Amino acid sequence: MTMRTERLLDEDSASAWLVSGMTVAIGEPTPMALVRQIVRRGLKDLTVIGSGLALDLLIAAGCVRKTISYYAGGGFGVPVAPMFRRAAERGEIEVWECEEGILTSGLEAAGKGLPFLPWRGGVGTSLPVINPDLKLFTDPVNGETLLAVPAIRPDVALLHAAQADAYGNVQHHGGPGWIDLFLQRAATRCIVQVEKIVPNEVIRANPWATTIGRADAVVRLPWGAHPWYSRGWYVQDSALLQEYVTAATAAAERQAPEALQRFLDFYCREPASHADYLERVGLKRLLALHEY
Amino acid sequence: MQPPSIAELLACFLARDLNDGEELQVGIALPIPEAAVRLAHLMHGPNMELIFLGARMNVHHLHHLPLPAFGWDNRVVRWTESFSDRGHRFDQVKDWHRRVFFVGGLQVDPHGNTNLIGVGEDYQRLRFRGPGSVGTPTLTTHVGRYYIVLNSHTPRIFVPRCDFVSTVGWGDGGADARTRLGLPGGGPRYCITPLCVMDFTEDDKRLRLKSLHPGVTLDQVRAQTGFELVVPDEIPITEAPSEAELHFLRTRVDVDGALRKLG
Repeated sequence: MTMRTERLLDEDSASAWLVSGMTVAIGEPTPMALVRQIVRRGLKDLTVIGSGLALDLLIAAGCVRKTISYYAGGGFGVPVAPMFRRAAERGEIEVWECEEGILTSGLEAAGKGLPFLPWRGGVGTSLPVINPDLKLFTDPVNGETLLAVPAIRPDVALLHAAQADAYGNVQHHGGPGWIDLFLQRAATRCIVQVEKIVPNEVIRANPWATTIGRADAVVRLPWGAHPWYSRGWYVQDSALLQEYVTAATAAAERQAPEALQRFLDFYCREPASHADYLERVGLKRLLALHEY
Repeated sequence: MQPPSIAELLACFLARDLNDGEELQVGIALPIPEAAVRLAHLMHGPNMELIFLGARMNVHHLHHLPLPAFGWDNRVVRWTESFSDRGHRFDQVKDWHRRVFFVGGLQVDPHGNTNLIGVGEDYQRLRFRGPGSVGTPTLTTHVGRYYIVLNSHTPRIFVPRCDFVSTVGWGDGGADARTRLGLPGGGPRYCITPLCVMDFTEDDKRLRLKSLHPGVTLDQVRAQTGFELVVPDEIPITEAPSEAELHFLRTRVDVDGALRKLG
């Protein structure tokens, strides 16, 4: 008797897919539990497609060699992500400068199996000057000047969603994040961490709600986006985000790395599991973040 | 009633310039544009579509909208009617001529080109690494018009030439500057700062003083601008908010007074 293969993995098996040197894409809402696993496992030389806290945390932990960067700031209470800023200014990371339209064009080229896709946003700017991989060209149809954006192929996309069944059918609450489906289509493999696993019947009751039909792995990690939000489940933990910003700013601007190292140890390196992390955050604090 | 703060003045100025039926997209950390679009929506734009975090909504019927609160709060999606941008962002830029957008910047040059990338001569060793371009190059390429909104007005921001350009305003200048580059959108309309409102000259598309805020002098603006600004013969004072505008702003848009705290 044959059986359909389940794609349900535990956090250790899923994060074992991640190895140093890979190109890792990080979605939004942010799959923080898997990001913390990267820090705990001490991966190096990653190329990261991501923004905000996840990107900054990985740079702080020394995991990043290169970032495909469209935005590193604002979203968590600082104009520019502190460790990203410091590492970029010192030349400690390579920045592949782009923007959202260029990034999605490169991801779409990968998904479509094309070497590049043309894009107009960025023509006339410094982007093709400071990123020579973006090439201005004359389009052969109308003779317009456009950008050729090379395919961007993540080895793995890490995403966070509301629910999935054991076979990799994923449903987001309130829609996926803006970039998630681009990342899934472009990546070689896609790992989705979810708030809960539901029976296949729940998926089939509303297949239009399935946003990703073939995740390579799903991992049950409730509260896994913390300290970020998870739509319909909990809001962001602003106090913890601020704790990171304060520690990272001290490390980046005042040569005082102790608080940042403590943060990385306490929240990322020492917990042996996601459940250990949640215990450190504390039940009262988590329950206070419930969205509804 | 407490007199308006500069941020409140600017929100009301911007709100008056927005038209019913338009799509208004506001990014994060832009409190003045966010307040402006919500004020315009309430007062004269029942058919406006607001786009926050890729979520498209019409909230005219709400007594007041507590979110988003000038930042990244995903609960705003509760008011979403559709996600035009979710998973297929940029698939309908052909229709962005009716969309209005707002950008900030680390630097602005005389033709309204702006920089979010960084400050310094050498890209590999920036003196200040900026946040990056977000989606502003693509948006400003296509939207019908946009506004440059700055939280301060100094010679370090208003520079003769941006170290790096992330959004093209009027390029090298001239009314056909954008056409020559093949950029279909309408370009920047105004640049607003805590000191003044600027528009662009019709021929050369160079920044020109349009109005001074109450209590600000021309000399002050000149001293704080790192290039020669076009100055018209008569310079009006930026029109003050009406009582109704301030009332709506304070009781239904910015209930917590964030724009007063900004100054």
